[in-house]
Amino acid sequence: MKSPGSITAGDCISHLKWNPEGTRLLITPVTGALLVVDETATLLEELPGHGMGNGSSDWFQGSPATCGFDGKIHCGSREWKPGRGMIEHVRTNADGSLLAAAQGKVLHIFDGAASEEKSLRELPAVVADFAWNPKSSYEIATVGAGGALLWRLGEKEPFARFDWGGASLQVRWSNDGRWLATADQTASVHVYDIPRDHPLNMEGFECKVRALGFSADGKRLATAGSPVVTVWPCASKTGPEGANPIQVDGSGSEVRALEFSPVTGQLATGDGEGTLLVVTFEKGQFRRKRARLGSGISALAWHPSKPLLAVGHESGSVMWLSLEG
Amino acid sequence: MSRIPVTILTGFLGAGKTTLLNRILGENHGLRIAVIENEFGEVGIDHELVINAEEELFEMNNGCICCTVRGDLIRILGNLMKRRDKFDHILIETTGLADPGPVVQTFCVDEELREQTVVNGVVTVVDAHHFSRHVGETHEAEEQVAFADVILLNKCDLATPEELAVTEQRIRSINALAVIHRTTRAEIEIKKVLEVGGFNLDRATELNPHFLDAQGHHHHHHSDISSVGIEAEGECDGKKLNDWISKLVRDQGQDIFRMKGVFAVKGQADRVVFQGVHMLIDAASGGPWAGRPRKNSLVFIGRKLDREALTSGFRACLA
Repeated sequence: MKSPGSITAGDCISHLKWNPEGTRLLITPVTGALLVVDETATLLEELPGHGMGNGSSDWFQGSPATCGFDGKIHCGSREWKPGRGMIEHVRTNADGSLLAAAQGKVLHIFDGAASEEKSLRELPAVVADFAWNPKSSYEIATVGAGGALLWRLGEKEPFARFDWGGASLQVRWSNDGRWLATADQTASVHVYDIPRDHPLNMEGFECKVRALGFSADGKRLATAGSPVVTVWPCASKTGPEGANPIQVDGSGSEVRALEFSPVTGQLATGDGEGTLLVVTFEKGQFRRKRARLGSGISALAWHPSKPLLAVGHESGSVMWLSLEG
Repeated sequence: MSRIPVTILTGFLGAGKTTLLNRILGENHGLRIAVIENEFGEVGIDHELVINAEEELFEMNNGCICCTVRGDLIRILGNLMKRRDKFDHILIETTGLADPGPVVQTFCVDEELREQTVVNGVVTVVDAHHFSRHVGETHEAEEQVAFADVILLNKCDLATPEELAVTEQRIRSINALAVIHRTTRAEIEIKKVLEVGGFNLDRATELNPHFLDAQGHHHHHHSDISSVGIEAEGECDGKKLNDWISKLVRDQGQDIFRMKGVFAVKGQADRVVFQGVHMLIDAASGGPWAGRPRKNSLVFIGRKLDREALTSGFRACLA
């Protein structure tokens, strides 16, 4: 692995996001200024932070969109403050036309003209996390107390719901649109096969699942919290149901970040001691490359079209790793 | 790594929480305090250290009130703990109608919060003039008092001495452990709010030497929420004690708001301390006796507590 560059922000890195073209990376530290850099780690722009804490960021219509505990959204030169409560995430839909932000029991949906006509209001529970359907720009899932709700914008009632008596903290929707996966406050993961309207519950994790993600083709789901990453097969008709997952060990402590490469299908994971694993899957087996980096890894982002990985650290540094060859 | 102290600020609508919060934020005490505010009242606090968040209650397990925790706090505090510049103190202001149970339980249930923070105290602000009415209208006002380590009997200037005496007696009948401070406009030394030192049985007995004495208990309350204190000489059988407490919280945990016991357990040189919120119980070494008499003290604050049954149940645990 070669490192073509690095840069340092003012605090622990909580989120990294490449723009769709792969020309700019948006670096979000827990507090303080956000950075926009190019592929060579050259600083292009510094963006104002969000007071007591920054939320996760995204790109919206060519501009970085950021949010945080101050209840504000910054997008390019625009600033929105739709309410008093904190905003933890902003996320752009698949075709880039809409930006979503959850604030309490409201899911704000902004279009390019900042109109909020499509927002979902007075939801039954506070939205802990949400995910757009990568296959449909007008479908979005929300999670919070009691499971997941799947919404079609413009409709008052969810078109699908998966109820259970616990709480979900994170949600991901697979790129093929088939699966919805949640990481829960209990040491469990719920997976929903949307076409079959079939919920699955995976338990037995050592601790709370802090990171999860689907491969770009939707055929694998990686889940992590402990030093072991569990990779569930999702390709068959029944998906992970009854299947033996792959257990990837080799991390020194709890895995805090993971992401599949959209280019190579490799899985990158990072732990609290700075151990980076790059895992290649081959016919039910896996092999891994291991690197020990300077400080705990807190965020990862693969380049959208190159085997280039941005690694964010608790120390505030972000390093680029080239995995070419 | 030292754990960051957390103070939970509760109180019925209009009791004076925001006034107290403004005082804490405005005073020159040298502490960096992060405030998480759930109260979306008409008078919000705009301050750089305040985070506004909507209260997000969820059940860890299906339908169990004792496993109801606060998701918003888990995520906010998780984020604050990652910061390079840590805070000296975290203060959580609940809504006027909040049940403090889930807030306290959050710190028992979430592993990361348990490792990185410590609940320093529950501070409840009570409107001296309107408390009797609040208690009659909702059960939250009583529960906020029941959970408190410190109670600010506020707006004393608006109440007559007789009203104050009645209100204080009523508060004491619900929660015999808490320290009560009479205040006007929430004027109080900040350290009396922030340096509470948790749910402290020693402090309660210092405050009221008869607290653990059944004869010293107030019987004139109108509420079904009360405190029961038990004291016994001798040593406990560790297994019997553990079995009894486990059964007790399993059967009556929903009605036990808080519980604390300091025990002399046979075969253990140090004090053994049990603490509980509803069904969540934590046992730990309480350090050496250090000259204090080796005896057992136990207190429950909760609803429909049966003093005789609790006392006989505990006495059966003596070795």
